[in-house]
Amino acid sequence: MRSDAVEKDRGGLPALSPRVKRMLVSIVLAALCAIWVYPLIWMLFASLRPNAMIFADEGLIPSQPTLENYARAWTEANMGSYFFNTLFVTVGSVILVTIATAMMGYVLGRSSFPGRAALFGLLVFTLFVPQGYTIIPIFELLSSLGLGQSLLGVMLATTAGSFVIFVLLFAGYFSQMPDELEEAARMDGVGFVKTFWFVMLPLSKPIIVTVIVMQTLYAWNDFLLPLVITLANPSIRTLSVGVYAFKGENFIDWGGMMAASAITIIPVVILFLLLQRYFIDGLAGAVKG
Amino acid sequence: MAQTFTAHAVFLDRVWTHWKEYLFLVPGMLIFGTFIIYPMLASQYYSLLQWTGFDSNQVFIGFDNYVALLGDSFFWDAFLRSFVFTAITVPAQLLISLIIAIVLNDRLLRLSALFRTLIFLPVVTPVAVIGIVMAIMLSPFNGPVNIALLDAGFVTRALDFLGDPNLVLPTLAAIYVWKWTGVTMVYWLAALQTVPRELFEAARLDGVRGWQVAVFIILPMIMPFAIVITLISAISALNVFPLIQAMTQGGPFFASEVMEVFIFRTAFAPGGGAVPQLGYASAAGVFFGVAIMVLTILQIVATRHLRSVERSRAV
Amino acid sequence: MTSANGKAIDRRAFLAGTAAFAALGLSGMGRAAAQEFSIGQAAVAATPDGPLRWLDTGDQKALFFKAFFEQYKKARGIDVVYDALPWAEVATVVPLAVRNGTAHDAFVLPLGMPPAFAVSEGWVQPLDDLIPDIETWKAGFPAGTFLEGLNVFDGKTYGLTYTSNRFTSAHVLYNRKYLNDAGFDPEATPLNWDTFREAARKVTENGAGRAYGFILGGAQVNRWGDTVRTLAQMAGGASGDTSIATGIDFRTGEVVYASDAFVGAVELLLALKADGSVFPGDLGINAPQARAMMPQGVAGIILQGPWNIPQWESQNPDFDFGVGPPPAPAGQAPGHVIVGSVGSVANSMFINAKAKNPLFAADVFHYLGTEQGQIEWGNVVGPADAPVFPSAATGSKMSDRSKAALAMLQDVVRVGPNPFARNPRLAEVAKLYKEPTPNLAQTVQGLFSGQISGVKEQLTALTSATNMALDAAFKSAKDAGFEVSRDDFVFANWQPERDYLEADYKAL
Repeated sequence: MRSDAVEKDRGGLPALSPRVKRMLVSIVLAALCAIWVYPLIWMLFASLRPNAMIFADEGLIPSQPTLENYARAWTEANMGSYFFNTLFVTVGSVILVTIATAMMGYVLGRSSFPGRAALFGLLVFTLFVPQGYTIIPIFELLSSLGLGQSLLGVMLATTAGSFVIFVLLFAGYFSQMPDELEEAARMDGVGFVKTFWFVMLPLSKPIIVTVIVMQTLYAWNDFLLPLVITLANPSIRTLSVGVYAFKGENFIDWGGMMAASAITIIPVVILFLLLQRYFIDGLAGAVKG
Repeated sequence: MAQTFTAHAVFLDRVWTHWKEYLFLVPGMLIFGTFIIYPMLASQYYSLLQWTGFDSNQVFIGFDNYVALLGDSFFWDAFLRSFVFTAITVPAQLLISLIIAIVLNDRLLRLSALFRTLIFLPVVTPVAVIGIVMAIMLSPFNGPVNIALLDAGFVTRALDFLGDPNLVLPTLAAIYVWKWTGVTMVYWLAALQTVPRELFEAARLDGVRGWQVAVFIILPMIMPFAIVITLISAISALNVFPLIQAMTQGGPFFASEVMEVFIFRTAFAPGGGAVPQLGYASAAGVFFGVAIMVLTILQIVATRHLRSVERSRAV
Repeated sequence: MTSANGKAIDRRAFLAGTAAFAALGLSGMGRAAAQEFSIGQAAVAATPDGPLRWLDTGDQKALFFKAFFEQYKKARGIDVVYDALPWAEVATVVPLAVRNGTAHDAFVLPLGMPPAFAVSEGWVQPLDDLIPDIETWKAGFPAGTFLEGLNVFDGKTYGLTYTSNRFTSAHVLYNRKYLNDAGFDPEATPLNWDTFREAARKVTENGAGRAYGFILGGAQVNRWGDTVRTLAQMAGGASGDTSIATGIDFRTGEVVYASDAFVGAVELLLALKADGSVFPGDLGINAPQARAMMPQGVAGIILQGPWNIPQWESQNPDFDFGVGPPPAPAGQAPGHVIVGSVGSVANSMFINAKAKNPLFAADVFHYLGTEQGQIEWGNVVGPADAPVFPSAATGSKMSDRSKAALAMLQDVVRVGPNPFARNPRLAEVAKLYKEPTPNLAQTVQGLFSGQISGVKEQLTALTSATNMALDAAFKSAKDAGFEVSRDDFVFANWQPERDYLEADYKAL
């Protein structure tokens, strides 16, 4: 039902129609967003400058635009070939993480099994302990499992990235779902697993989408672990490892780096655009008065 | 005796009735145990060693690293800075992103998809690039931010955002908020989906104005979710690292050295002059984690209290 | 399945990609591609076991190796994987890979790791059985390149030390127009501390807000330490630059951070700041950013290393810049920049103890240690990571400016004593040494930003903190049964104006 027609502003402010109000909001938002993304627009234009001109004080629009950085980014970072490796790692870890965290979050959010509080505490605790240098044990573990040099190892280890955060998000979301849904299902004789799979999971679309986007982002950009694992076998390297070709110890290929970044963020942005209608399509409508 | 036995049986019975739930935990526990718990235990063990991290010479020294930490003023300074950083970023990030989320949660707002994407863009941009771009944006030498501030008459002299020890941490906090607000917005958008749309509409029909809708209807409904989001934001802020490392390396003179930068500096000795001390760095990480956990437990207790109050009110 | 398919596609695409490497590069690729490398015949015939894998820290070196390996592949019929990583990643990746058995055939060691360490850990293997007639080969290197305790252990040779250590990362590079307009010609008369300050002031004045006298890249903490050490050494504060010997005057074995030379160097930087001659926002940019700003005409002088020269020449051909020695105080004979070895230990390559293709790695080592290889190296890399053979530095094709810079460095830099060469057991001390915080670089940054004050007091505090840390490390090493002593730092026969070579060690 569209509410525009009936909606009235009784707040006492000049009575603007909702449509006009939305227009005004849009204009304000457009202005704010322009400022918000200005640094990134700058980056985009900078990626079209020759390296010698990146720091030139010549305004936003490059005076000698070139696509050279993009050509270099594509070949130097082996983007064509590393794309599929990254895709494998990303898709695999997204599937694993989404399923595992949804199941865990569901149980944590909706059931009071013995040990729940302890598990919650443990999850939160691990969040707090800085993870920056756990690369050594993770790598040694993967090596002892025989996964120290395989893309599968990268994929599995990547699942840990934001695991706990996702579990907490699912748990929080499921805990907010009305109990009637589950009860209705139980009365209809639908089992635990089926209730989860057919009733609850589809309703958690906003979180699923969030997890997919965030995990994609993480897997797409994770650097150190893929680097260590693929060291001996360049043919299984991922994009983020390839992009590192632009950052030497003393030399930085600014243009190449910006062009490579622009290229690598495109798939994530497309994913975000495609999935985002689900952000605002969750429980709403599921609970009928 | 008999009583404990019965209690035991009851407990086992409870466990048994929940066997499906436990089964559901299995995939998650595999990932959690292997890639999170195990490395964490390993680094807890490292924290008891004198170890560079790159040789086979690990000397077990008990709690010596922890004792040394207690007397390390740079550790405590970094500790404090992490909290200051969190105290600045978390409220700002939560509030800004919540307002954006509420405004953009309107299905009838055209272009909202575009706006969401634009807000989200900094999230996907690599930190290395943000470091370069922001150094240029904020430069006191013809940087756009300073030009705008000077033109508007807010300042009379260009500000050295990254070089002034008093400005550097707030500046990094602002960049951090800018970079990560998109994520929090997404979390809020998800949270807002637990608010039935009918409620939004009903509120609008009743003429309650926008902010009142937000404060009196939406906020209480998403409160438990808000706690999770706050927790996540706080943890991310406490563990901020790549952004600061890329922009200031914790400088000038430690003015922006937060905990993770301290840990990195001791764990890998990137300057090359010294041998890394992985054991010591691990101790710092573990100590920091435990300290915050204590605070978190307090938070959880508070949450539970809040929830029970809410429930009793609802009945 | 798809993954197998993907890999097949991958492999081909990867090879194509690697081929494309050669055509494009960071910079100056034209020169590298034009270089024909005299690879010749392998001294020892070998069959490849997978690709030859090589890891170093890239930069200008990458320019050479990408072009060289392209030709080497064809000449020897072996695939080559060349990887370049910054030091921070080398520090993490190399130890893990060694332990896991996946390390490269040839690699550099993490910066903080003394080679003695890698040898005793069994990471690397000697070259003696891999390079035929190794003594003749070694004899081609300048005297003092191979020293027991540095790259030779128990009489066996381990490291390929093939780039020169005769450089400083803080010599003068300047905008010729600005300096000339300000009335200075550093090529004719090198800047001293007074004229340096004066020139910076004048450039700032002439720049009227569009250009400043001096830029450094002060967000990168280590720049402060390197710059002050170089300036102080030019003021006669001769001291070591290696690991635990950093800041030690080998005539006395004492830490000299609180000496007049160091205090004066820091005060010079503070004076530049007080004059308003420092690029605004310098504390917010790192060294590469500062380097990139110079050709934009925002600053007159930068103190950095010779690697800027090929970088600017290829990327900013219109930038008119000059090169000069690090400034020394007026009215006294300039001192020398002291380095710990003839060749760069940091750049030294080692062969993995478990290398799959040790003979191929050694084959490349051998080539890089010949006159021809060194000249070809110089042709490509120029004055950055210059060849260790002095004859190659003069004999290779590089710009006049680069040659002048190398001549200047030859003049300014002296090889000092290296305590590790005298007593290799000092590696045990290095392992236990906990550098004080703040260290020199951090202290200078704090003084410059104004967060701490009192140059003399701070440097005195740093000196005693360094002494305490050294004493503690020596004590632990002694307790563990190693024969070491702080007297190992005292080289009574050292004269800073002369290279300290093998004969001098023997004369001790």
